[in-house]
Amino acid sequence: MDEVKDAQAGPKPGACIPWEDKLRELPEITGDKELVQRVWEDIDSLAYVYIWQVLLSF
Amino acid sequence: MPPQDMEQRYQERLKRYTTAMRNGKPDRIPIRPFVAEFTAKYAGYTCQEVTHDYEKAFDAARKCAADFDWDAVVGNMVYVWTGLTQAMGLTYYGAPGIEIPANTGFQYIEPPSDNAHMKPDEYDALIEDPTAFLYNVWLPRVSADVAPIGEPSTYRNNLSFVKGGMAMLSYFNAFGTQAARLRSESGTVSAISGILKAPMDILADKLRGYLGLCDDLIERRDKVIAACEALAPHLAWVALSGADPDKNVPITIWMHRGCVPFISHTDFKEIYWPTLKPIIETIWSRGHQTLFYAEGDWNHHLDSFAELPDQSIVYHADQGDIFEIHDRLGAKFCISGGIPNYVLGYRSPDEVRAYCKKVIDRVAKDGGYIMDASAIVQDDAKVENMKAMTDFTREYGVY
Repeated sequence: MDEVKDAQAGPKPGACIPWEDKLRELPEITGDKELVQRVWEDIDSLAYVYIWQVLLSF
Repeated sequence: MPPQDMEQRYQERLKRYTTAMRNGKPDRIPIRPFVAEFTAKYAGYTCQEVTHDYEKAFDAARKCAADFDWDAVVGNMVYVWTGLTQAMGLTYYGAPGIEIPANTGFQYIEPPSDNAHMKPDEYDALIEDPTAFLYNVWLPRVSADVAPIGEPSTYRNNLSFVKGGMAMLSYFNAFGTQAARLRSESGTVSAISGILKAPMDILADKLRGYLGLCDDLIERRDKVIAACEALAPHLAWVALSGADPDKNVPITIWMHRGCVPFISHTDFKEIYWPTLKPIIETIWSRGHQTLFYAEGDWNHHLDSFAELPDQSIVYHADQGDIFEIHDRLGAKFCISGGIPNYVLGYRSPDEVRAYCKKVIDRVAKDGGYIMDASAIVQDDAKVENMKAMTDFTREYGVY
């Protein structure tokens, strides 16, 4: 059974601005880095869903 | 009806529906009509009301579900909420009561091929980063409010993102409430969850247009293939993001113009199917079925669909010969639909019952069949004919 291949270019599905890009803009995170990453990715994925749902559903 | 009895009815219907979708034999044939503007006609609303005010659309869907006593429905099959499309300035719909008469269903306006939403020399940008392309190039072209990249931003530009985002959140959240109300008020199952389109279909539908894609299949075929491959992982992700967490009801793929004669057998075999099949197999590997809503006639391609794992799809028959579909796919997949919309709209209840009997006798004998019209039911269907389809199936479709 074939599975769909990963994206060959650009951010991975579910992301507009990848966490790695955002992290470079931030000062050193002295607190919980995983928390910051998780919240960034959760909200970023909403922007991703927005444009793809406009394309597909509206 | 007491709440516990309504929940029992819901559970019975869910079992009936899911058993049929897994190609099994339930207690009787589930009835799951995909009813859109028909709900407005039945509930006393205009097309404008159900398209522009989703609460009225939800109300009409609940009224139909309760009165017809259907096993499963879509929470709102009038899928374009023009309140949202207006809020973000989308230009590709004719909205009832605005660009078209209030009692005409919404229309998609495909631009002329020389003014497509994506230009022929923009494939590389799409392939490089599809999401950025949609935001930076596509959206400013399809929205009257969104300013193109590099041009001064505007008040309307800024508002379109806030209004569009908030409106989408409001609309999608309301589906959760709608599903709960269908369950508690009439014991009705929400029939589907999640959306998919084939990479090549979305290229034709919203990006290059059908005529533009036809040119590209000849003039820049490699780019079309690369674009479909670039779109595929995103379409799979979006489909899974909206899937039923309980894995009961399917993700739906709305299949448009990827079949003969819109494209050639070669285009299907070399591009359409190789870039769609892995998405379906990925979805199945995550435990979700896909409902192939095969709009039009896809019978030229049944051998390709038969390559998919058993039970991985539910195949909806529109204009394709449902008896041939059953002969060639029925051992592997559940089949739905097959009652022509012209029969529901323009023939008598007796003729509806006769057609239903023919389909049930030849397609549903061993289970694995769901009663529905061929295509989405709009306001040309007669109420007495929808009742005839429903009542006949409930009486005759007992195993």
